[in-house]
Amino acid sequence: MKMDLHILTLHLNGEQDVVLARQRARQIAQMTGFAPQDQTRIATAVSEIARNAFRYGAGGSVEFAIAGLEPPQLLLVTVIDQGGGIADLQSVLEGRYRSSTGMGMGLIGSRRLMDQCDIDTSPRGTRVVLKKLLPEGAPPVTAAILVAMGARLAAKPIHGTFDEVLQQNRELLRALGEMRQQHDELLRLTNELEDTNRGVVALYAELDETANHLRRADEMKSRFLSNMSHEFRTPLSSIRALAKLLLSHVDGPLTPDQETQVGFINKGAEDLAALVDDLLDLAKIETGKVEVLPAEFTVADLFSALRGMLRPLLVTDTVELVFDEALHLPQLYTDEAKVSQILRNFISNALKFTKLGEIRVTAALAADDPLLIEFTVSDTGIGIAQDHQDLIFEEFTQIQSDMQKSVKGTGLGLPLCKKLAELLGGSIALHSEPGRGSVFTARLPLRFAQPADHGRPEAAVAAPATVVDPLRLPILIVEDEPPTRLLYENYLRGTIYQSVAASSLREAREVLARMAPRAIVLDILLPGEDAWNWLARFKSEIKQKHIPVIVATRVEDARKGLALGADAYFVKPLEREDLIATLNSLVLAQPGAAGEMR
Amino acid sequence: MERIPILRMGRLLLVTIQVDMHDQLALALQDDLTNRIVRDRANGVLIDISALDVVDSFIGRMISNIAAMARVLDARTVVVGMRPAVAITLVELGLELPGVRTALNVERGMALLQSENE
Repeated sequence: MKMDLHILTLHLNGEQDVVLARQRARQIAQMTGFAPQDQTRIATAVSEIARNAFRYGAGGSVEFAIAGLEPPQLLLVTVIDQGGGIADLQSVLEGRYRSSTGMGMGLIGSRRLMDQCDIDTSPRGTRVVLKKLLPEGAPPVTAAILVAMGARLAAKPIHGTFDEVLQQNRELLRALGEMRQQHDELLRLTNELEDTNRGVVALYAELDETANHLRRADEMKSRFLSNMSHEFRTPLSSIRALAKLLLSHVDGPLTPDQETQVGFINKGAEDLAALVDDLLDLAKIETGKVEVLPAEFTVADLFSALRGMLRPLLVTDTVELVFDEALHLPQLYTDEAKVSQILRNFISNALKFTKLGEIRVTAALAADDPLLIEFTVSDTGIGIAQDHQDLIFEEFTQIQSDMQKSVKGTGLGLPLCKKLAELLGGSIALHSEPGRGSVFTARLPLRFAQPADHGRPEAAVAAPATVVDPLRLPILIVEDEPPTRLLYENYLRGTIYQSVAASSLREAREVLARMAPRAIVLDILLPGEDAWNWLARFKSEIKQKHIPVIVATRVEDARKGLALGADAYFVKPLEREDLIATLNSLVLAQPGAAGEMR
Repeated sequence: MERIPILRMGRLLLVTIQVDMHDQLALALQDDLTNRIVRDRANGVLIDISALDVVDSFIGRMISNIAAMARVLDARTVVVGMRPAVAITLVELGLELPGVRTALNVERGMALLQSENE
């Protein structure tokens, strides 16, 4: 993949070429927008490294290139030689080694003059990559600008042998042709993209409108349901109260016939009241009026309460209701009443459609995610055909079947379960075969997490002084947008990682001064300071360059990010699975990390 | 082979480096200058580097060597006209110029040498 914009390659065959390299470095630095001071720094660093390559590496090459598409771009100078390598790089870099000719100084000095300096040395040769970010406000270097630059470099031959200049000019002309071709291709692509873009924008507008319509209709339905249910409730309560009064013979005795009839009235009113209650629950969830009240509880307690509650529903002795023992399960922190309601609905549903056999209720940690608990209710009833499996989670749907006709129901139970599970951050699944039975599963998080947009007080999050739990690995999150920060914190909740938040690079530095995180999640567009520069500096310090940095940003410039030392690069939005998987691979790969896992 | 010209002004030698020197040229200058100090009985050397926009560790060390050799031959060396960018870069590079005195321009450099030799 040739994404870097190649500017020029020089060969180091003679001493004069070292001079040429630094002069070219200065010209290129000037053309790419560096200030005079930086031009001198770059030229000096190139001079040092090129001399090393020429003197100790028996010649080599110097290549200038630009990486990155968005400003600030990155100037890359790669110096390669085929010499014997640097014998003791570590001691050279630590300043313990000083050759009489000053080679060590050249390397150390160049590291200071540039943003970053990668050295890769082996007995077969040495490769040094010098990197410096273009200054803020420098116009982006594009293929077109490089063409112009090439032309100017070609027109400005500098002190060197005639052949060298000729050869370089030929090279520049070739590069120029290539660039022009690339430029034309880019123009064509841009036009094409613009056309597509216009279409997409129009389509989006249409979709938005439709979505708004639907949302309004849905809100109206929920409001209607909620109001109507309340209106129904009052007369229903009077009917039930009056029927009970009659049945209690307070107003004189009833004939046996009358007693039966009033009994029917009472039963009818009660059924209707149950239906209205379900409707009301559903409407409440849809209008967002339901609050989740999380608390600690155990599965065993939940099961024993359910057992007591549901025993009266077991009217035949051909069906058995079994609760599996819930051993070795962690405590839950979620809304017990809602979990209980979901299971009750599952069980009563199962009871309705099972004539013979058993209904089994179990709980276990999900196999694929230890942070989820799975409740299953399996029956040996009539089962549900594949076609209908999605339908039954929609409101007011009931499947036509012989047995269905004999059972009463509102068709609201399962949709309610689905809504409740979603409210708790979980989901519902169904596995069923007609004639063999059904298995309903509710997958719920062990610990209920407030939704990210719930708007917790800012201050609590912004303060960088989060308490560090010694059992969990600290991850520094540098992100200025509070919702995104909260989102990442939620991602990490319940994992072996804990987040330490910083809303700016200044805060990040304060955190880093106090502790060493196991990884850093870095946003690029931060207020006040340029994160590219910060990344470059961070990754060039030996003490901390081993700390993995995961860039998550809207800026699509992975090449540059990786070139500056980022260990992973994501364009927002960053998904939970991606973050966790990346952390796992980067952090747990570090030596000594395994022992700290819980 | 090209050479850096060395001008004589009384008992001072003036070296104006106008080209970007490659390493051999810098070493040749070192030889030429020490010979001229002896031949001309010079007691001061002015090195004007105002035309240089890059001074790397090699050239820096060469200047420092010239100053040391001149001192042994009883001559004082003043480097004049260093550009601010070059000065900043030298410090960042970690290069000190032991025994080398500097002055802002040729005029001041000359005044400095003359006051010392009176």
